[in-house]
Amino acid sequence: MGVTVVQNFPITENRTGPSTIELLTKRISALGAIQQGHFLVDCETYTSVPQLGNPRTVHILHNSEQPATVFSILETENKTIPLATDGLFDLLMIKMANFYTSKKQTKAESKGPRYEIGDFLVKLGTVTVSQNFKGVLVEVEYRPCVVPAMCWELMREFLQGFLGSTAQSAPPLYLQNRMQDIYSPIDTIHQYLEQFTIYRKAPGLRT
Amino acid sequence: MSYNSNSVNISVEAPIENQIQEITYDGTEIYQPPLTLSESLAKFAQKIDFSKSNELDIKKDTDEAFEDNKSDSDSKDAFQSSLWPWDSVRSKLRSALQEVCVLADVLAIAKEKRYLVLDPVQQEAVETKPMVQIYARKKALAGAANVLLTGAERLKTSQNEILRNRQTPDFHIELLRLRQNWRLKKVSNSIIGDLSYRTAGSKFFQSGMFEVTKAEEEEKTSSPPSSPAPGIAQVSKSNSSLRVTVPSELQGVAYIEVLCQKDQEDLCSVNLNLLGSGPPTANPEVHWQQKLEAAQNVLFCKELFNQLAKEAVQLQAPIPHMVVGNQIMATVLPGIQLVIGLCHSATADKKNQQTAPAPSKSDHDHVLEHSLHQLLREVHHKNTHHPFPHPSSAPLGPSKKRYLAGPMAADRHELLEMTHTETLLEQIIKQAQHFFMRMRTEYVLDTIAKEVKDPLISSHWNTLNSPTQSCVKINISTHGYDAVCRTPLVIHVGEKSLKCICRDGKVMHMSYEPQELRDLIFCHINQHQILAVQALAKTMGWQFLGNSNHLGLGSVEPLGNASSCLLGSPNGDRVIAVRCEPQSGVQVSVAHSPRTDFFPSRLVTERKWEHLGGQFRDVRLEKMEGRNFLHKMELLMASLTSNS
Repeated sequence: MGVTVVQNFPITENRTGPSTIELLTKRISALGAIQQGHFLVDCETYTSVPQLGNPRTVHILHNSEQPATVFSILETENKTIPLATDGLFDLLMIKMANFYTSKKQTKAESKGPRYEIGDFLVKLGTVTVSQNFKGVLVEVEYRPCVVPAMCWELMREFLQGFLGSTAQSAPPLYLQNRMQDIYSPIDTIHQYLEQFTIYRKAPGLRT
Repeated sequence: MSYNSNSVNISVEAPIENQIQEITYDGTEIYQPPLTLSESLAKFAQKIDFSKSNELDIKKDTDEAFEDNKSDSDSKDAFQSSLWPWDSVRSKLRSALQEVCVLADVLAIAKEKRYLVLDPVQQEAVETKPMVQIYARKKALAGAANVLLTGAERLKTSQNEILRNRQTPDFHIELLRLRQNWRLKKVSNSIIGDLSYRTAGSKFFQSGMFEVTKAEEEEKTSSPPSSPAPGIAQVSKSNSSLRVTVPSELQGVAYIEVLCQKDQEDLCSVNLNLLGSGPPTANPEVHWQQKLEAAQNVLFCKELFNQLAKEAVQLQAPIPHMVVGNQIMATVLPGIQLVIGLCHSATADKKNQQTAPAPSKSDHDHVLEHSLHQLLREVHHKNTHHPFPHPSSAPLGPSKKRYLAGPMAADRHELLEMTHTETLLEQIIKQAQHFFMRMRTEYVLDTIAKEVKDPLISSHWNTLNSPTQSCVKINISTHGYDAVCRTPLVIHVGEKSLKCICRDGKVMHMSYEPQELRDLIFCHINQHQILAVQALAKTMGWQFLGNSNHLGLGSVEPLGNASSCLLGSPNGDRVIAVRCEPQSGVQVSVAHSPRTDFFPSRLVTERKWEHLGGQFRDVRLEKMEGRNFLHKMELLMASLTSNS
């Protein structure tokens, strides 16, 4: 487990989703990456029924990198509570269907190939929100390090190496306040949720 | 008068059953014909005994008695003449009626209280004689005591009788003892027991059912008279009222034999016998406890072997394991095989079996025996003891690590690692490998310590070790110069490799070949000599001019490199060069500069050039005085210093 950065790769006018993925695959393969299976990150959002009082939102996320874990983020008015639990948490949510209802339209997921290149792990994800293609997310993990501040420069350089000028020069918003903390899998989930929320709000393709 | 409204009518009836008149020999009962009404009435009337009341009447009513007696005698006469059987009854009733009438009259008069007053009559006090009472009581108590004593005596004699007749304890007490140690249940008329390790967590398919029956009486009643004199024979005889029947496949004695073969030649052998005791007697009449324990042992060995055989077939080893009959062969290290065999001998052919493994028992390794034993027990324990905390909603079975994998967000790699479990065979092979590694290391260290006398090599084995890892600390020092220089080494003995941590913190990994360790130790001996000379030079006041651990000069060494150092005397006119080679040993040369005598030659014309250093001359160390190399060097340095 290392530091992960999740970043959107904008799709230019004359390209489709698959062709963008193909382009990135070509670039990363040229660097010497080897494909190691696929990955999937999905997110489902539940909202509390009005009887419960103040509206609360629960995001349930799964990451294929941590297959035994269900991540959930509870958003209330003034704070967010992250939780990493067993697979049984999914069953618990079914039991709570009376209090938390899911909006099927908001189911977001990012899936695609997973590459290993030295100490880096690169995932090229096709983002769909309720089966509609929304964009491309690139996840890069640098495995030997657990403190973002110590490896951000290196990661940025690596990102620029195959994303070109579209690579962001600043770390993701979520990580900016936690650069000195020890990175944990829930931080990846936070980044994905951040991205998914933007995708959901965007009316069409995100550029 | 006496009639009361509260009284209850009670009807008394004769039992319906007729009286038995006779029972014939074939058992049929002949009943009396039922009495007729008049007959039964006469019978009941005859049962009434009027004589007593008559006498009382006579005493009380003296005035009337005369007539009554007369009439009585009349009636008796009449009765005797049996003219009318009811005559006596009639007379009695009449007299009774008279009495009642008189009593009624008296009471009526007394009620008026004018002519008659009823006074309570002082009753004559009963004369009590305490002594008589005491005697009476004493006698009664003595009688009761006598009864009790005779009863107790009888019980005692009967008990003695039983004990004399059979030396065996009671069946039920035996059964109770059996029940305390073994699982029993009653199935209809028989008692079935279970000696398997199911309750301890075993999942072996074979059941360990046994049956408990009561031993026949005849055997015992016939046996004591046959051997009355020798008491020992009777003791060894089964003195149990229980008989335990064990299925034939669990009878006899079994053990797991572990042999380590080096190219078909036995290196050592281990006999696993869970009982750990001597050979059980061939007598089939052993005590049930031993019999059951032996059967349980057989079952355990069978399960262990079954498990090992299953794993041997499934495991993908570079050199495949072989399972032939009741033997498993696995390659531990190149050229060394581990042979695990199941020896199961029935009671009949036990004696000739026992003679065979007897010679190999000398190599019995209790550690390997114990670990084999332990491995299966551990599996059993894991089957029944699930790690805490386990939530009630979660399935049982996964390890504690797996439970935490979810909340701790374990990644794919970690989860994959969790699924890998080590089989019993793998573990025992690892332990055997470690056993060999340890043996080889011990051998190498011992032989080197024997071969090399000059620096002393002492090895300390850590007492705390695991079945697959142990540690040895080696100290290289010179006798008499321990404080000057000491080279410590630590060697971790693993399963297939050795890890050596050197004096300077370098870590060397070595394979299972003992030659590698030998070479390493020789290199370190060499290094020790050079370092010790340097340390000694410092204490002697000599200057340390330079050294090289890996000398590129001279003949090529078969292992390692030669090392050397140069030492200068305190006033700088003598130089000692030491060269250490792992194979050929130590060479020492001495140079003088300037020489004490100078002869100008064509090349060296002036004396000042002699300061540049002179020719080195070899020192024949073996000719020198001194206990060891360092002592010789000390003497050499001392002599060179004093000369100047």
